Amino acid sequence: MAEVQGRSRKWKMRFLYMVLVMAVLYVQLLPLQTLPRNWAGPDFIVLLTVAWAVRRPEYTPAVSVAGMTLLADFVLLRPPGVMAAVMVGARQVLKRQESGLRDSTFMAEWATVSVVLVGVLIANRLILALFLVDQAPFGLSMIQLGFNIAAYPLVALASRFVMGVRKIVPGETDSMAGAT
Amino acid sequence: MAKERKQRDDYSGPLKRLMLAVLVLFLLAVFLVWRIDSPRVERYRAQVVDKVVPSMDWAMAPITGAINLSRDFQGYQHIVEQNKELRRELQQMKAWKEAALQLEQENARLLDLNNVRLDPRLTFVTGVVLADSGSPFRQSVLLNIGARDGVVDGWAAMDGIGLVGRISGVGKSSSRVILLSDSSSRIPVLIQPSGQTAIVAGDNSTAPYIDFVENPEQIRPGDRVISSGDGGVFPSGLLVGQVAEYPGGRLRVRLSADYERLEFLRVLRDHGQERITTPGNVIQPLAEDVPETPATTEDAQNG
Repeated sequence: MAEVQGRSRKWKMRFLYMVLVMAVLYVQLLPLQTLPRNWAGPDFIVLLTVAWAVRRPEYTPAVSVAGMTLLADFVLLRPPGVMAAVMVGARQVLKRQESGLRDSTFMAEWATVSVVLVGVLIANRLILALFLVDQAPFGLSMIQLGFNIAAYPLVALASRFVMGVRKIVPGETDSMAGAT
Repeated sequence: MAKERKQRDDYSGPLKRLMLAVLVLFLLAVFLVWRIDSPRVERYRAQVVDKVVPSMDWAMAPITGAINLSRDFQGYQHIVEQNKELRRELQQMKAWKEAALQLEQENARLLDLNNVRLDPRLTFVTGVVLADSGSPFRQSVLLNIGARDGVVDGWAAMDGIGLVGRISGVGKSSSRVILLSDSSSRIPVLIQPSGQTAIVAGDNSTAPYIDFVENPEQIRPGDRVISSGDGGVFPSGLLVGQVAEYPGGRLRVRLSADYERLEFLRVLRDHGQERITTPGNVIQPLAEDVPETPATTEDAQNG
């Protein structure tokens, strides 16, 4: 019984993840800002993926991370595929960390996520540089990275209290074991 | 239980890892294909955007409207001083209007005298801005007109006054305009009155810079910048803006178009000019001149 419930919840959350990414895309696309800015806000698609992957990797399967980021790549005029591949890698790294972070403090989680975010930026720029693709201005990327790290607690809090993405507590794994 | 789980991992682990590798390879392959055959993938991108964004439009329009309304409301606070300013400007404009009317009459008379017929193909389609680029790294807008309205890659987009950008990426019912401020935008221009050609290059700032000028000292702030049509990808004679000198000594263009509020854009139909593709034929007929050339070089060597 619990297993069935766990399974249906898992699918619901997977669906919710995709809906949220679409919602973020939609808000970003609103034609409100046509003047160029000299700063860049946080990238909520990345943050959402990272925050969910580090707490509940089963809500963000690699296929849906790849699909949603690829869609974002296409819609936001980025070189298609690079960010998606990097994000799948980041999700995998965080999934490995998940069991270790289960009992640790939020600061440890934040630090791990920050390292991964820096890694995402470096990997992305490295691939683009390797293939001699025009890149986004370095300063702007750094500003975005700063905002990303600063905004992570907010996204994590919102995921925790609004969407109910909490860390796995002991005892829950018994029912999850069958479901994953 | 731990053991049981371990066994399950042993069984499904390699399969999962294989799937993951396939997935990442697929994504990198997409990127590689894009790098090799960019136009094809960009066309595909236009189709994806064409599918995704207009379907969100019903939800985007009211929210955009509401936010703009609230912004307008904030604008009411300054309404008194604005009103005063507008009155003053109106006075000046009335004088200009008088002058313009006289000129228009004169122009009409002269056109009539010369029996001039303006090119009927020089028309435009007007589109509504659906979405912006959605990221701070790119400057573009999406219009609700596309291939079904006859829009073609490379056409110019203007607001009422000046050039805004060029079409790059056309879907069935949407098309993307790369703004002049985007860092990949390069437009050939003519700077009047000195008549020098240059390139206006965007760099993600409000004022794109002027590049490849032969004599920068002949250019003064305030000079008019218009598109030159060089290279044949862009119609000529469209107002871009005015030259301005920015701190750092770089010449930039203050754009005439109002980038703060891009709502309706005109896309100019451009069917290209007729051009001479084989200039050799004009200078000399091809035929039997070929054997003569060695002879002339020989002469030159002897002489």
